[in-house]
Amino acid sequence: MKKVSSIFIVDDDPITVFGIKKMLKPVAICDDIQIFQNGKEAFDALAGRLTLEQDIPKVIFLDINMPIMDGWDFLEELIGLDIHDRIIINMITSSIDPSDYQRWNDFKEKCPHQLNFKNKPIFKIEVSDLEGFHMAS
Amino acid sequence: MKAVERIEQHYLLKQLPQAIALVGLDGSVVDASDSWFVLFGLPPKSIVEVNIFNLLENVVNLNEKLSIQKNFSIRHEMVNDKESRWLETNFTPWYDEKENIKGSIVHTIDISREVKKELEIERINAILKTKSEVAHVGCWEFDVQTENLYWCDETKKIHQVPLSYVPNVNEAINFYKPGYSRNKISMIFHKAIQERTPFNERLTIITQKGEERWIQSAGKAIEKNGEVVKVFGTFQDIHDQVMTETKIKESEQLLTALIDNLPLNVFVKDLDSRKILVNKSECEYLEKSPKELIGKTDYDLYDEEVAKISREEDLEVIKTLKPILGKETISIKKNGQTTNFLTSKIPLFDLQGKVSGLIGISMDISAIKKKEDQLRNLINLTSIQNKKLINFAHIVSHNLRSHSANFSMLLQFLKSEDNEKEREHIITMLTKASDNLLETLENLNQVVDINTNISLKKVPINIYDHIIKVQHSLTAFLDKNEVSIKNEVDQKLVVKSIPAYMDSIILNLLTNAVKYSSPDRKPIITLTTKKLDNKIILSITDNGLGIDLERHGDKIFGMYKTFHNNKDAKGFGLYLVRNQIEAMGGRITVNSEVSKGTTFNVYFNEESK
Repeated sequence: MKKVSSIFIVDDDPITVFGIKKMLKPVAICDDIQIFQNGKEAFDALAGRLTLEQDIPKVIFLDINMPIMDGWDFLEELIGLDIHDRIIINMITSSIDPSDYQRWNDFKEKCPHQLNFKNKPIFKIEVSDLEGFHMAS
Repeated sequence: MKAVERIEQHYLLKQLPQAIALVGLDGSVVDASDSWFVLFGLPPKSIVEVNIFNLLENVVNLNEKLSIQKNFSIRHEMVNDKESRWLETNFTPWYDEKENIKGSIVHTIDISREVKKELEIERINAILKTKSEVAHVGCWEFDVQTENLYWCDETKKIHQVPLSYVPNVNEAINFYKPGYSRNKISMIFHKAIQERTPFNERLTIITQKGEERWIQSAGKAIEKNGEVVKVFGTFQDIHDQVMTETKIKESEQLLTALIDNLPLNVFVKDLDSRKILVNKSECEYLEKSPKELIGKTDYDLYDEEVAKISREEDLEVIKTLKPILGKETISIKKNGQTTNFLTSKIPLFDLQGKVSGLIGISMDISAIKKKEDQLRNLINLTSIQNKKLINFAHIVSHNLRSHSANFSMLLQFLKSEDNEKEREHIITMLTKASDNLLETLENLNQVVDINTNISLKKVPINIYDHIIKVQHSLTAFLDKNEVSIKNEVDQKLVVKSIPAYMDSIILNLLTNAVKYSSPDRKPIITLTTKKLDNKIILSITDNGLGIDLERHGDKIFGMYKTFHNNKDAKGFGLYLVRNQIEAMGGRITVNSEVSKGTTFNVYFNEESK
């Protein structure tokens, strides 16, 4: 079991949200799991926490296709924020479009956070999905 | 006595018109006619002093000749200050009554004129010979009486016979090539004698050495006292000339045949862009005869703008001497007929190497051009279709994958879940996932239908009436949302459309406008039509939330794209509408301002495709 202070789930599909929550239970202890329907809501919340100097999420589960602000737009905005911690972002998508994979690769280069790419269906969340690489060791 | 006699005689002789003198044995002139003295340039009274040997001192052995006492004559030249003349003097022995020789009777005649003539003839002959040698023109002469045939040296050379050769008529005729040439010469030669018809023919001979050569033979009868006595003629070797002419003619023929039968328009223009040669194709294209085209410029034949461009090209070629090769040009004739050509213009030089005009070659590529356009359209269409197809394939794979992924995940959970309540929860989720999948499939089906149902026929539809109809079917929905609809469409306006699509388009755009209405004001939807370039545009304007087009412009008509946090938003309506409009050959555009409203413009395609 891994203790995580804060987790964001950004997905407009209630079934996927249900699944992620269910899969988190056996691996993580977290009192602060927040659900967002699209990138805009998640971004606003994150930016708000940053201004109020509250805990920002350690782990984000991010869908790509969402209304109003999709996953890519969210990442773009996120890069613009002044965040010192390295957030672990798990992109979860049913897309097998090679262009989406390419875009993920491009973002990985310029994003200061850890960007993972996970294709649906997922059946299990590993502890490693909640941990950053051990940069120091 | 003696003296008296002498005077009488002298007086008799003196008067004789002929130049006669009596010379004694010692050569002294005993007596002479006045005319004799005149001939020798002497004063008439100086008889006694004159001696013939002195007078004719240049004549060799005159003394001996005289002593032989026989007739003889000599030619001698008399030169005085003014002129020289040729004289001929005859000496006849002079006897007395007893037949004793007394001297000579001298008879002199002036033959200057004859000698001059002889010299002239000699000169003319020399000229003739030279001329004949230089010009390679031989001559011949046939004596009708004796049947002798004379050939000059040149004529012999042409026949390649030795100069010693003596021809006769039969042999001469046999030199001609059997067949046409030999028959012809026999006939015209005969005619020249019989009917005095002159001739001048090009014929072939076979020379002594067996060479076949072209010659020109001319002849003319010469008459004397009304009878043909001779036939005189010339004979010329024209072999090289004829060969060259034949070659030129052959080349010309080949060139003409080639140019005329080329499936290209060929023309030659002078420096003023006047046509000086046109081929068959060019004539056929311009529907004019060569005579009508020669001397014409493009201004006489084409639309002014086209002629101007062409003249500029001509000038460019003439100025730079660089050819224009394979340029795509458009020709518009006076009657408006337009043709696409692949044109080349090449500078033309005269024999001195100076530019004298240009050669033009044009290939009609209208058909190819048309096919190319059709092909390009087809490629464009195909590429659009292909893009749509790929897009659709991604949509399908994405949407179906997301549902199937959910099924897999939920089933996995169900397998390992023991808690009965949680199992029930998962099953509810599964049912929901199944419903979602069904709806997605139904949506995709609708899109496939639009893109495959090309058999649906467009019919004339009154837009105004159709809006009223849809409005009726939406009465409850519209009333609930307190929507006011302003139908300002031209009541008589009719467009060609597929009725079901028209329903869907109006329904979706109306419900869309209501779904995204602003919570701050009651929804007002205005429908208008206008005509632009024969296209009918239906505009649907609302006063709703509006949309940030800079941000979402390219996605607004995409599938499952929603831009507002709205529960009913599925992101399918606009995608469907766009597909339906495009399937009918029209298009849809959008204008919007955030929190002011949105206008959708539907362009109907009036063609019945």
